[in-house]
Amino acid sequence: MPEAAATGLGNLPAVSWRLLWRDWRGGELRLLFLALVLAVASVTGIALFTDRLERALLLESANMLAADRVLHTRGEPAPAEIINEAARRGFRTAGTLSFTSMAFSDSGNMLVAAKAVSDAYPLRGKLITTLLPFTRGAPVASGPPPGEVWLESRALPALGVEVGGTVFVGEAELTVGAVIIAEPDRGQGGFVDNAGPRLMLHMDDVAATNVVQPGSRVSHRALFAHDDFVALDAFEQWVDETFDGNYHIRDVREESGEIAEALDRAEGYLLLGSLFAVLLAGLAIALSARRYSERHYDYVAILKTLGCTSARISAIYLLIQLKLALAAVLLGSLLGFALHQGILRALRASLNVELPPPGLEPYVVGALTAFICLLAFALPPLLALRETPPLRVLRKDLTQLRFSDRIPYAFGIGGSVLLIYWYSRDLVLTTLLVVGVAGTGLLLSLISLLFLATSGSVGMKAGNAWKLAMTAVRRRRWQNVLQVMVFSVTIMSLLILSLLRTDLIEDWRAQLPEDTPNLFMMNVTGGQVGRIEAFFAENGVEANAFYPLISARVRTINGAEPEPDAGGGGEQGGSSLLENNELPERPAARDAMAADGGESGQSAESGNRQVQGRLSRRQVTWADEPPPDNRITAGAWWGDNPRSGLVSIDEEYADWLNIGIGDEIGFEINQQFVSAEVANLRSVRWDNMQPNFFIIFSPGTINHLGATFLSTVRLEAGRKLLLNDLIRQFPTIVVIEVDALIEQIQTIIGQVSSAIELIFLLVLAAGALVLLSCVSASLDERFHENAILRTLGAGRRLILASLLIEFSFIGIIAGVIATLGAEGGLYYLQERIFEQDFNPHYWVWLAGPALGCAIIALLGVNSTRKVVSTSPLTVLRRVV
Amino acid sequence: MIRTAGLTKRVPTSEGELTILNDVSLRIEAGESVAIVGASGSGKSTLLGLMAGLDTATSGEIWLDGRQLSTMDEEQRALLRAEAVGFVFQTFQLLPSLTALENAMLPIELKGESGAGGKARKLLDRVGLGDRWHHYPNQLSGGEQQRVAIARAFATKARVLFADEPTGNLDTATGGKVIDVLFELNREFDTTLVLVTHEERLARKCGRSIRLVAGEIANGESRPEPVHA
Repeated sequence: MPEAAATGLGNLPAVSWRLLWRDWRGGELRLLFLALVLAVASVTGIALFTDRLERALLLESANMLAADRVLHTRGEPAPAEIINEAARRGFRTAGTLSFTSMAFSDSGNMLVAAKAVSDAYPLRGKLITTLLPFTRGAPVASGPPPGEVWLESRALPALGVEVGGTVFVGEAELTVGAVIIAEPDRGQGGFVDNAGPRLMLHMDDVAATNVVQPGSRVSHRALFAHDDFVALDAFEQWVDETFDGNYHIRDVREESGEIAEALDRAEGYLLLGSLFAVLLAGLAIALSARRYSERHYDYVAILKTLGCTSARISAIYLLIQLKLALAAVLLGSLLGFALHQGILRALRASLNVELPPPGLEPYVVGALTAFICLLAFALPPLLALRETPPLRVLRKDLTQLRFSDRIPYAFGIGGSVLLIYWYSRDLVLTTLLVVGVAGTGLLLSLISLLFLATSGSVGMKAGNAWKLAMTAVRRRRWQNVLQVMVFSVTIMSLLILSLLRTDLIEDWRAQLPEDTPNLFMMNVTGGQVGRIEAFFAENGVEANAFYPLISARVRTINGAEPEPDAGGGGEQGGSSLLENNELPERPAARDAMAADGGESGQSAESGNRQVQGRLSRRQVTWADEPPPDNRITAGAWWGDNPRSGLVSIDEEYADWLNIGIGDEIGFEINQQFVSAEVANLRSVRWDNMQPNFFIIFSPGTINHLGATFLSTVRLEAGRKLLLNDLIRQFPTIVVIEVDALIEQIQTIIGQVSSAIELIFLLVLAAGALVLLSCVSASLDERFHENAILRTLGAGRRLILASLLIEFSFIGIIAGVIATLGAEGGLYYLQERIFEQDFNPHYWVWLAGPALGCAIIALLGVNSTRKVVSTSPLTVLRRVV
Repeated sequence: MIRTAGLTKRVPTSEGELTILNDVSLRIEAGESVAIVGASGSGKSTLLGLMAGLDTATSGEIWLDGRQLSTMDEEQRALLRAEAVGFVFQTFQLLPSLTALENAMLPIELKGESGAGGKARKLLDRVGLGDRWHHYPNQLSGGEQQRVAIARAFATKARVLFADEPTGNLDTATGGKVIDVLFELNREFDTTLVLVTHEERLARKCGRSIRLVAGEIANGESRPEPVHA
């Protein structure tokens, strides 16, 4: 006996090459190869795209900080040790110093938001200046030189100066060198950066102004930039560790909650898109591998009669798959690269972001995906071929595939879990998807039971298309269950991504609609409210509601000292803004925006952090109606005839303080004690750039304690000069402009919306391929059966009609299950992961099944048309 | 070359166990040509499958080429087939994605022998298909496909050839020509031939016949065999 053949690999590599080549030539492997290439191409393409897009978006959003990382300090500049360490690590650094001051000229004066910058400012983004106010400008490399000030357009007419004139800041006389049109980090900062038009000067001139004294209310920002993201993270960590958390370097996500949220959601969507793309590609691989292996039963049986052992059969197929996978990885990576280039080209106009070069990781991700998919989805049915009994050469009906009956599902499920976890690194999301799929499986089993329970009748009922189709559905119920599962998972994926995309984009649009107010007016006295309203009415500007503002402190809850959750972070916190009489980072989004704030506050960004450190002074209000975008989550609003002594609390804040409906809260307001019962809890949309409040009293509760008022208004760019008149007429009010921030958020949202649309299209393509391969996987049996029917005299119309009915029926069931799954999945995703409010999509309940029916019927009938156009003899010969 | 003793095959069915072969004992010497005849469903193909090691018996013993099949697992039986056994089937069983030449080469390649192409070409010449070697099965007639199968069966110089209704899918004239080729090569390679057929004319070409009736040997062949090899 030849030992090489008996034990070792012998000439197996050569044999596997020949079989691979012959199978390829015979067209047997093409579908599997195509599915593998698709998996690699879509995953690599999406990974390349998201990798570069994420980095680009981070870079782009870094422009909004004028740096990659920022260290914000109050009163004192950042320690020299940090700046020196940054320089030692090859960082570029710059510094800014913000303060409010009066600027004087020969003909006027006004409160300005002064900002002194060092030579290197800005490190990221562009400072745009011009020589005439309210005109277009051009980017300049750095800020004003010593001896110069640059002013925002509005300040020039207010001060009655032109470029070349002089203004005084404190004791320093400076020349107006340019007009600032845009400043990269204009949206950042608190009150000191927003209390008036910008006046920018050189850092060296600050001393000469004599405005900044020890203890002055000033804000320092140390700016850092480095092209290596890893170096940035390492530096951030070094600062945290060296200074024991007393100083914290922040990136754009921490600096701007709105941008962080947009980026987080976009990344979440892109991740979900990639997951669905991988799962769909896995399905396509599993289906085509199954079909390939089914077509190879006879092949293996013959090989076995020729003396091939099971071990050698496994080795041959393993080698074939390995070679196929390598080829697929190569071709898929190339296609993936081309795909992402295509996407970028298509998006160039809307992206408007300079993309960093791609890394190697996406290719590794693509290749690993191919091998995991192959292991999980393709290998089990192929390895099961080894179980084919050689006797099959004599008896066609023998399959005896014990291995393939159970193991592949375990492999497939295990592989899917591994892939999902690997991509998401998120145990919750992984569990959710696994539970979702398991739920779908359970639902399908129930439907199968229904099929089983349907009283089967004898024969095919071949005289009537409807009955013929229904008996076919019943006879093939187990194959149909698999098919319905594949169809429904595919349609569900597409529905989820489609609905989520629409909801996300609509949500973003709703967050900052076209008429979002761009000015906040504060420190308005009760007597000024009517006059300001009249001022806007005279000038044809729509004024918004005025909210009273008053500083309050929670003293007791049901008579006892408040005991905030330990996890809430308590009172301490980095950038305490109010104690410096400044504004939090998002001036418009917080109730704590009055200039006469309390003792402690914190510019927390989202989630629990929003309520951290909020036990002390809060800016509270009273109102007849809840502010727009507020949703009552417990209890009820006080209705048309409110009684005094009630209070409404933000639900996260209430959660942190362990407050519930009916609790009696004691407040200290203007040295008086006020008690109120909690009537309701609200969810507050902090990112809508509208006045928002943690605590709202019912009218009549605190009205007598004195308050100032806050309101918003939208002034189009062309009407900004009106602001000068307003301030001239009401010199005590404080006006904060947030145009820059709104514009920056809208830019980011526009970009991530484009990315989301594109990923959706990619997954749509992957889904279409799965549907196609699923339909073609069921073709063989239908071909054979219908060929026999035709030889027995069944007409073309009868067969086509029965196929149409059968596929439509399967499509409707798949559509119903997909809709159920999609709504369930969306509920979880929106409520838990994307932090959106879930609303049922009623139209989908009709559209889902209709879509399933239309797509499956169209694909099915189109693919099986050949059944009636090929001669029955050809079909029968091929199948025998 | 082949011996069976008390060979029995039963299969479970929805109506209980069905006996396909019952206590079949026979002996076939090396170089012999034996026809197994009988009506449809008499158990001919099952007996062939068992003797060739394609299936396992419910009870009884089989010796093939001096080795006891009933003690071997599927892997060992496959290796024995690779070394000693050739097949010709009623439905030809050619691999549709391979050309005539590649089909004939396959057992030589699997055995790990060199010069597969040359050996296969010679055999195709020998069966009269020298000019059709590059055709695929679906481009060949039934008779031609069966001749490729015969070339493949002799490619590794098998010591035993099992033929299951080799003319069952062919017309009389074509079947006659195929059988002539089969017997010529059988003589040339001095192969033991076991041929399952229901055609008496074909059976008469063999040295002797074993008739199966309802799973049992009907013509006195079923005599007790010694249990040692």
